[in-house]
Amino acid sequence: MTSYLLRRVPSAILVLLFASMAIFAVIRLVPGDPATILAGQDASPEALASIRADLGLDQPVLTQYLTWLAGMIRLDPGKSYMIGGDIGGLVRAGLLNTVVLTATALLFAVVLAGLAAIGSVLANRRWLDSVLAGANTLAVALPTFVTGVLFVVVFAVILPILPAGGTPPDGFFSRPGIAFQYLVLPALCLALPSAAALARFLTASLQTELGKPYVTTAQALGIRRRRIVLTQALPNALPATVTVLGLQVGALLGGAVLVEAIFAWPGLGLLIERAISDRDYPLVQALLLLSVLVFVVTQLLTDIVNAVLDPRIRLGGAS
Amino acid sequence: MYDSLVDVPIDSVEPTPSLATDWKLGDDGLSLTLNLRDDVKFHSGRDFTSEDVAFSIKTWADPKWTVQFQRTAAAITDFDTTDPHTVVLKFDHKLSNVFDLLDVLPIIDSETFDGLGEGKAYVGTGPFTFESWTPQSELTFAKNADYWGNEPKLDGIEVHIVPDAQSLTSQLRTGQLDLAIGVSNRDVDTLVKTGDFTDTAYEGSERQYYVGTNVTNPALKDVRVRQAIAYALDRERIVADVFQGNGYPIVAPWPKYSPAYDEDINQKYSRDVDKGKALVEEVGNIPTLSLEYSTGSPTYEAIAQIVQANLADIGIKVDLVPNEHPTHIDRLINGKYTALWILDHAYAQWTPSTLAVTAYPFNADKNSSNFVDAKYKKDANAAWEVADGTSPEAVEAYRKVTEDLVENLFLIESNVTWIRIPVSTGVHDLAWTKRSELVLTDTWLDD
Repeated sequence: MTSYLLRRVPSAILVLLFASMAIFAVIRLVPGDPATILAGQDASPEALASIRADLGLDQPVLTQYLTWLAGMIRLDPGKSYMIGGDIGGLVRAGLLNTVVLTATALLFAVVLAGLAAIGSVLANRRWLDSVLAGANTLAVALPTFVTGVLFVVVFAVILPILPAGGTPPDGFFSRPGIAFQYLVLPALCLALPSAAALARFLTASLQTELGKPYVTTAQALGIRRRRIVLTQALPNALPATVTVLGLQVGALLGGAVLVEAIFAWPGLGLLIERAISDRDYPLVQALLLLSVLVFVVTQLLTDIVNAVLDPRIRLGGAS
Repeated sequence: MYDSLVDVPIDSVEPTPSLATDWKLGDDGLSLTLNLRDDVKFHSGRDFTSEDVAFSIKTWADPKWTVQFQRTAAAITDFDTTDPHTVVLKFDHKLSNVFDLLDVLPIIDSETFDGLGEGKAYVGTGPFTFESWTPQSELTFAKNADYWGNEPKLDGIEVHIVPDAQSLTSQLRTGQLDLAIGVSNRDVDTLVKTGDFTDTAYEGSERQYYVGTNVTNPALKDVRVRQAIAYALDRERIVADVFQGNGYPIVAPWPKYSPAYDEDINQKYSRDVDKGKALVEEVGNIPTLSLEYSTGSPTYEAIAQIVQANLADIGIKVDLVPNEHPTHIDRLINGKYTALWILDHAYAQWTPSTLAVTAYPFNADKNSSNFVDAKYKKDANAAWEVADGTSPEAVEAYRKVTEDLVENLFLIESNVTWIRIPVSTGVHDLAWTKRSELVLTDTWLDD
């Protein structure tokens, strides 16, 4: 196992190194200079030169790259040019907001999908199936920037029962009730497309299960439909649904960028959007490298798990 | 949070007292003595003295910081701080716009200055103290109960960052926010129609929209082409359609209350398609010109489309080229526009000499139009180096600068406008500065 790890880790480090070079180069290929943006449109050339020196942008590109790389190795990504403040702190705060939003959305998606699928199967009414299928299509078809605005207009403006946006004033943990009110609309908006996909999949899986012989046997024995669905069909339908749920996490994280903008929710999506439009080089670099790191670590862990499960892999394919 | 030495009211260029109670310009125009309040403390509890004035001005002049009026601050070369409540500023040359600087320049605390640079400590003498900052999310301020002026009526201020325009409007309508900056003119109108908001326009803190020209472009080198464009521009339509009537057309950059404003000059290039066409025909063979604008705001795009149609009327074909805002600013500062561009500027609301020494597009030494002219440079410096910025001598110097601008037309002004913000009807006594900063010292809210 150790020798397998020794083979895999250097390639992971190489991937990170190449990714760091690509990220560093790509952000510099985008037109627009951070010093110019920071200086504003009335800056004198002297002020601009001074800012460039201050940001280290007057150094050769290789020096800039090595300085940044050394900082990343020391776990010191530096300071944000535009927002100000230490990048580590900005990323931590953004990450917490995005994780809380995505996790709540995932919970909503699971609950909504479960209720819709089980309700539809249990009721076994054609009209209910049609209503749920219509709702399902709408939830998939409507983009989050439409549902988000609709939710705000209905629940915050017309029926003023929930906040229109922003994060809870006292954080997530001191007054959970208030925090939940701030979370409901963005999380629901983010959850809807995933809930629809999950509901459709779970309903189909349940219906497949209900057509199997063990269900006919159970019915013949006089067991009630509700009990068959909840205790036998559902447990059998769940594993495949969980796989789909795992795939939805990626979709939720991607969708969070728009939802964060609509609900003024300062997560990682907003942070990277602002960093790119402001040409905030150190912040963009840190965020992109972080996403590559997450991918590389996940890949490494997957390989390790596979190696544990299958000795042929850790023996390097020897047969 | 911060006070300045003087306040220049929004409807004039004459200073009024703030941390300085009164002042006297030296007979030679090369020094200014300011008497300071003796009852002012920083938020840290330390007394404010003349040393703080010297520190603040020297810091402002340091090119390490990007600040307005830096050239004016750098022209203050010596400080007499013998008396803690009197400061004497000595100038390198006469400075007609010194009071603009003293209005804008915040008095900062030298003891906590390192924290200011790092974004950790903000210590001034103003009506509110800094409480907290959550990046990308909010800023909070608390009332300074020991403020030397009127005690603030608000207990504190919360500033929320809302990146989405729709969300901003919704948060106003739900009462989560009392006022907002950055709301489009159309949204302001919609909010005002609900009856829950008033429309507050920052009059006195004007912005001017213009069409810039790169005078080194072979087609724009001939001033007659620039004159034709000035005749073609439908300023009235831009004010009506793009700014919903909030503003007025201009030919020279000055707002109406400026000592440099001249109604006759302002009528000189009123829209006249025939004159524009005649000039274009006289020059002949004008190639298609590019008109660059920033994608950062729908305002620029709307103006660009009107200008494109206006120039088609006189026979000049224009290609619209949208730039991302950072690219646009990069091209502005480095004079890299190919032909024409749309942007806005400020600074004309101050002492008129400020414009040509502070606003980069007007800078006589190096500007976005690549316009170099010995007479303009001489006139701009002469206007700056007048001792009293409101004297008849100064007004005469401004007239020469205005003539240079209108004769050479390297920037073709369109209109004056001002920022509008929707304010809840429960908010009273809101004020703002010439730099479009809100002043909430006397503001109060309905119960």
